[in-house]
Amino acid sequence: MGSKVTDELIATVRSVIGDDYSNMDIIRALYMANNDVAAAINIILDTPNFRKKSEANGLSSTGGANREWSKSADSNGKENLSPNDDANVADCEDVEASPFSGLDDGVWWLVGSTELPGLSTCKKKKLKAGDKVVLSFPSKVSNSPLTAKFPGRGRPAAACSEIVRFSTNDAGEIGRIPNEWARCLLPLVKDKKIRIEGCCVSAPDVLGIMDTVVLSISVYINSSMFRKHISVSLKPPQSFFEDSVVHPLPNLFRLLGLTPFKKAELTSEDIYRRKRNLDAKDKSGHSSLTDIGSWKKLKMDAEGSKVESEQEPVSEYEMDSIVGSVDCSELEEMDPPITLLCELWPYQKQALYWMTRLEKGRSLEEAATTLHPCWDAYRLADKRQLVLYLNAFSGDASTEFPSTLQMSRGGILADAMGLGKTIMTIALLLAHSGKGGSCSSRLLSQASTENSESCSNPDQCQTTKKSVKFGSLIGGGSLIVCPMTLLGQWKAEIETHCETGVLSLYVHYGQSRAKEAKSLAQYDVVLTTYGVLTSEFSCENTEANGGLYSVLWFRIVLDEAHTIKSSKSQISLAAAALSADLRWCLTGTPIQNSLEDVYSLLRFLRVEPWSNWGLWNKLIQKPFEEGDERGLQLVQSILRPIMLRRTKSSTDKQGRPILVLPPVDVQVIYCELTPAERDFYDALFKKSKVKFDQFVEQGKVLHNYASILELLLRLRQCCDHPFLVMSRGDTQEFADLNKLGKHFLKGGKDVSRRDTDDIPSRAYIQEVVEELRKGEKGECPICLEAFEDAVLTPCAHRMCRECLLGSWQNRTSGLCPVCRKTINKQDLITAPTDSRFQIDIEKNWVESSKVSGLLHELETLCSSGSKSIVFSQWTAFLDILQIPLTRSNIPFVRLDGTLSLQQREKVIKQFSENKDILVMLMSLKAGGVGINLTVASNAFILDPWWNPAVEEQAVMRIHRIGQTKSVNIKRFIVKGTVEERMEAVQARKQRMIAGALTDQEVRSARIEELKMLFT
Amino acid sequence: MANSNLPRRIIKETQRLLSEPAPGISASPSEDNMRYFNVMILGPTQSPYEGGVFKLELFLPEEYPMAAPKVRFLTKIYHPNIDKLGRICLDILKDKWSPALQIRTVLLSIQALLSAPNPDDPLSENIAKHWKTNETEAVETAKEWTRLYASGA
Repeated sequence: MGSKVTDELIATVRSVIGDDYSNMDIIRALYMANNDVAAAINIILDTPNFRKKSEANGLSSTGGANREWSKSADSNGKENLSPNDDANVADCEDVEASPFSGLDDGVWWLVGSTELPGLSTCKKKKLKAGDKVVLSFPSKVSNSPLTAKFPGRGRPAAACSEIVRFSTNDAGEIGRIPNEWARCLLPLVKDKKIRIEGCCVSAPDVLGIMDTVVLSISVYINSSMFRKHISVSLKPPQSFFEDSVVHPLPNLFRLLGLTPFKKAELTSEDIYRRKRNLDAKDKSGHSSLTDIGSWKKLKMDAEGSKVESEQEPVSEYEMDSIVGSVDCSELEEMDPPITLLCELWPYQKQALYWMTRLEKGRSLEEAATTLHPCWDAYRLADKRQLVLYLNAFSGDASTEFPSTLQMSRGGILADAMGLGKTIMTIALLLAHSGKGGSCSSRLLSQASTENSESCSNPDQCQTTKKSVKFGSLIGGGSLIVCPMTLLGQWKAEIETHCETGVLSLYVHYGQSRAKEAKSLAQYDVVLTTYGVLTSEFSCENTEANGGLYSVLWFRIVLDEAHTIKSSKSQISLAAAALSADLRWCLTGTPIQNSLEDVYSLLRFLRVEPWSNWGLWNKLIQKPFEEGDERGLQLVQSILRPIMLRRTKSSTDKQGRPILVLPPVDVQVIYCELTPAERDFYDALFKKSKVKFDQFVEQGKVLHNYASILELLLRLRQCCDHPFLVMSRGDTQEFADLNKLGKHFLKGGKDVSRRDTDDIPSRAYIQEVVEELRKGEKGECPICLEAFEDAVLTPCAHRMCRECLLGSWQNRTSGLCPVCRKTINKQDLITAPTDSRFQIDIEKNWVESSKVSGLLHELETLCSSGSKSIVFSQWTAFLDILQIPLTRSNIPFVRLDGTLSLQQREKVIKQFSENKDILVMLMSLKAGGVGINLTVASNAFILDPWWNPAVEEQAVMRIHRIGQTKSVNIKRFIVKGTVEERMEAVQARKQRMIAGALTDQEVRSARIEELKMLFT
Repeated sequence: MANSNLPRRIIKETQRLLSEPAPGISASPSEDNMRYFNVMILGPTQSPYEGGVFKLELFLPEEYPMAAPKVRFLTKIYHPNIDKLGRICLDILKDKWSPALQIRTVLLSIQALLSAPNPDDPLSENIAKHWKTNETEAVETAKEWTRLYASGA
């Protein structure tokens, strides 16, 4: 970008022009003049309203006035045109603008002139060179301007309303101008944004039909255009984007042959490119390979020389292919400050260098003078040398300088799990600290007003509206947002790795947390959770937002940033609404489910223009879903400069792995069901399949997705332990499964199967259940214990089934023990219970084959003193596992989602420090993220999860920095069950993540996938 | 030993009887047989038995709670539904027994029986007749017996 404007240069210019101009004016002029002092002075003095405009545009040093102005400008579109301006305009306009100078609805600026070939539609009329021609636009523009989209896709019906004819005063109508011109002029003329003046350049002596008449036209743009866009851009521009990403104005500029003297650095070209490709497709029905070729070339153009010409096939199985694992071995290393109390690996020093470079790379001043990459800068042909900025994406025009200030600096540190993102971030905290907005509030306030101009998506506008109030925000330190599970770990790591007293730390969590922004802002580092963030965020009312939103943070770090991946979720909106100078995302899995995940990150990071959903969807999401690899390539090119991703297999310059971790051995243990388990499973499967087949027959598979998942859930749980399914024996469908369950309990011995009982009316059950829900748990009046397999009598008394039946003299009927009413056995209703298991699992304990397998493994390991973590996704299964562990005298701890923060910390500490505790039971979700458990070297994953990324994350809790022993991962899969088929689905999913399957394929695949599970 | 195989229900009931005794009733298991309870019931106020302390014995049979406990007054008492051996005529101790009843409920029922003698369903024919023909006199006798046999001895 432009070279740096030094204080010296500013001082030189100021010595000539005096104090009437603010520093910003001078910086801008210098920038425009490429740091040529003389030229800059000329620009300032020659541009009649340079200062006026600057003041008006909020570049003067009084920040308060700026804001006032920007408000009033919204309400009054013409405010910036002071009388003074008009005078100036009148002075210097004579030739070009004279026809319009008398008009009072704004000032007209000559954009440019060019020649275009008109087509005559009449015969024998005469036309001389130099004859003035008048363009006549259809007065009733049907459906316009939407149908006047440019360039059209061949819509004959709309076309006739888009014909622009030209005529002379003498001869009347002569002909029409090319459609391409007509379409882009029409909406602009109609909105009185432009005016056109034309004359004939050359024409045949005698006109015939379809003769070419060369016209020269000059286009004037109305200054109201610039104002208008501010107010327009603050509105949600949805319709805008659904329809088109090409806007008439940029297109007109192109037709006029105007080339930006400063091009949008980003991908405005890409839009044309994509657009043309689409056209090509529409017409010829195929997209040519050359398009992709030229795309490549474009990418080179856009990125300059640093683009490596690696064009990886997207079908690679790794996410790396989406996010484009970059060879970063060439990065410089940066030593952390001495206040960091631990050694960094070389690759971590590289990350530190990379991060500080992204943060400090461009000084604020430079940012303020660097053209925002979405904007093109044009010099108009007008004598007054107006510079006009055009947003290549929104079509907005502005005379104000769109700087990069509003683009937040930062990026995504996407190193694979276990590489020490936390410690790298702590190093960054120490290496580069400050207060939000402290550098120059003046520059920032300017940025905010400019921001409001360029912003073009609703969310962003929301945040910018907020940021306009920078004055009321208090500059704070760094904010770290992490999942609740990691709060303790962050605190501990900051405390252990930083020299005491270097960073002041505050944990913003819990009921007693500080409400005042002032107290939050005084700390160097504030730790909080996503939950707190969401609770302090209110999307309706910005005033109601909590303290976190009243601080302009120096830096925000989102740990496990994939938490915000669903862009519509509160948490995602909440994160995006925070104000900060520097923004970072830490995540080992920037993409978990879909490409859309990246969008949320980019929105948070304010990576322009991609925080605009319409644009993202059009250029990336949709192409990607349609299998157009350009979408993917575009993402890669966006991410490349702002994302650093290394994996454990990354290598350094010498080709050595960047991190040497002990080897990891992943093994799948296949279990066989015992005959009794098999009976149970098969019965359950048969039932589920009947239901599923019904859905398939009715063609309602996707409508019943939830019920199907429920069916699958039971099957999967059954693979863990039949008890898990029996704990749900309260529904009709599974009434007779209870009998099978008993059968299982008795180890497969034959139990006489009695015919199924009639089921009482559903309404009645519901009534009683409702009653029960309100009541307390209570105990069985007979055994005085908590209910076990409780039944409800018709008289609505609850007791254990066994107790009740035991009190009866005969097997089929008896008295209600409570009210002595006679009841029949078939009138009993199985009651829903509060206790998880309907049977006393402890008393009736039976090992499932999976449990036996696990115990077998654990016993071997325990004798060697090696610690293990046992993952399941069902806490109920963890309940079950506690029984055999207790019986085998294997000391264990348990970590699941029900624990409070303190309890978690305690459990982790216990597990890490107590030599006798060898096993930790952990729920897959609770233990998924961030927790460091390198003290263990074995992990058992008892049940496969749909998303392999979740499993991987869990495993990475132990295979990470600090692990000294070789790691064993064992996954349990029960043969010949849904689990085995889930593995195949996982493989598919992996391919989907890698982008090999398009979303459409995925949708149709989903049904196939389900069918696969039910074979 | 009999105690070793004591059902959870009996243990629970015992604990509750000891920790939250019903007003006017105390029941404690014998040390050598946990199914055998020594019971004391205070004569209910405004009854002929007011001021008396009545000893009873209660035994939980093997089938308990599917069968009713066996209860007997040890203290002599003048009551139409209690015979001279101390046996009690109470439906819940016979055919109306329900496993939903407990020691506590049984004893409370007995206490209630002292408040409301039921000469229509007598166990002691003579006393019942006395009650029906001359209630005042019968009540007087009952008071006398209470003083004689049940006063704090």
